[in-house]
Amino acid sequence: MKPPSSLEALIEALRCLPGVGPKSAQRMAYHLLQYDRDGAQKLCASIGQALQSIRRCAKCNSFTEDEICALCSSPRRDAALLAVVETPADLLMMEQTLAFPGMYFVLMGRLSPLDGIGPKDIGLDRLLARATDGVVREVILATNFTNEGEATAHYIGEMLRGRGIKVSRIARGVPVGGELEYVDSGTLAQAVVERRPL
Amino acid sequence: MSTRARQDNQLGYVLHTYPFRETSLVVETFTRAHGRVGMVARGAKRPRSALRGSIMAFQPLGLSWSGRGELRLLLRAEWQGGQPRLQGRALLCGFYLNELLLKLLPREDAHEQLFLDYQTALARLGEEAEPGAVLRRFEKALLRELGYALALDRDSASGAQIEPQGSYAYEPERGPVSINGGAPAGLVLSGRTLLDIVRDDYRDPQTLQQAKALMRLLISHRLEQKPLNSRRIFEELQQL
Ligand SMILES: [Zn+2]
Repeated sequence: MKPPSSLEALIEALRCLPGVGPKSAQRMAYHLLQYDRDGAQKLCASIGQALQSIRRCAKCNSFTEDEICALCSSPRRDAALLAVVETPADLLMMEQTLAFPGMYFVLMGRLSPLDGIGPKDIGLDRLLARATDGVVREVILATNFTNEGEATAHYIGEMLRGRGIKVSRIARGVPVGGELEYVDSGTLAQAVVERRPL
Repeated sequence: MSTRARQDNQLGYVLHTYPFRETSLVVETFTRAHGRVGMVARGAKRPRSALRGSIMAFQPLGLSWSGRGELRLLLRAEWQGGQPRLQGRALLCGFYLNELLLKLLPREDAHEQLFLDYQTALARLGEEAEPGAVLRRFEKALLRELGYALALDRDSASGAQIEPQGSYAYEPERGPVSINGGAPAGLVLSGRTLLDIVRDDYRDPQTLQQAKALMRLLISHRLEQKPLNSRRIFEELQQL
């Protein structure tokens, strides 16, 4: 029996979610229609609401409902420090450390030449404008330590250093509380290369 | 080519990965004994995955896999060490090499010599300030390996030896042809450039520049004008 066309459309729509294939999409659709019509109603309304009200913060490029997000408008943050991260999730991780008093810029991605993602796709022009606003004195590059994250950090560093801004990179190495026996070889190798004098 | 389903600790490199299903990755590899092999790394996107940390491009790995289909199942990827991490512009050059291999090399076709050339290129990219010569040597090796006999030392119209002082028009399907006056369309190279490329000698700046144009022409020809993302992005980054 062929499912009705609006059910088919729903299944097809659910497939836009990351990691959801045809099977999971079908399961989700049946679940919503059979057991949780209220949940489906809420999902529908909140997606509509979010699409309408959420946009990019003019300063940090992350998601907000205002022109400028709460973090970027906070007078308690040090506006001279700007950390560059790849994703809003990375920003949240940085915030949880309570170690960083400054502001952020979220790239919403990273340079990935093999996927065709270049400087225009991660808003480097907007980052440049943000970092050269006259208030920012140091930019801290907190992109991932993948090859793509490293390439991203390198080119942002070149771009900003050329304009007289101090640039630093977060350090890497053996995790805090980590035992060498359980650290992966790549991390340990890099920690040896980047050893520092005591 | 071996048809054994399971392979253990095969030396190879990750060329690229992309997400596959919810928590897995497709890993495109280049191995010494089996050429390009595509594999699925199951659960590799999970935070505690043992594969997660070692699946990284530009690092020699000991790869174990099983299966026979288009995509094998990656079982282990063990760090071999010995290659310093590429940094800065060398990383972009590395991405370019990987894109060439992904777009030009067919799967499951062993290319041991090219594998060694790739290893050498990565090592040199890590050491040398000027990557031009490293890239040209690798491009030449790749074209040769793909069965494209690079015509460099003879005029393909007359059969005469290339004169260092001469000027030659180069067409991909034809090779160099001496220019006797007149301005031909297409790429013009000096005889010296052609002879320098034969010897892999890129010390002369004009050779380096003309060799780049020649390799670009030949590679686009092989790619049938499919664009190379890494080249475009490298150019965009130069304009920052
Ligand atoms: Zn903000």
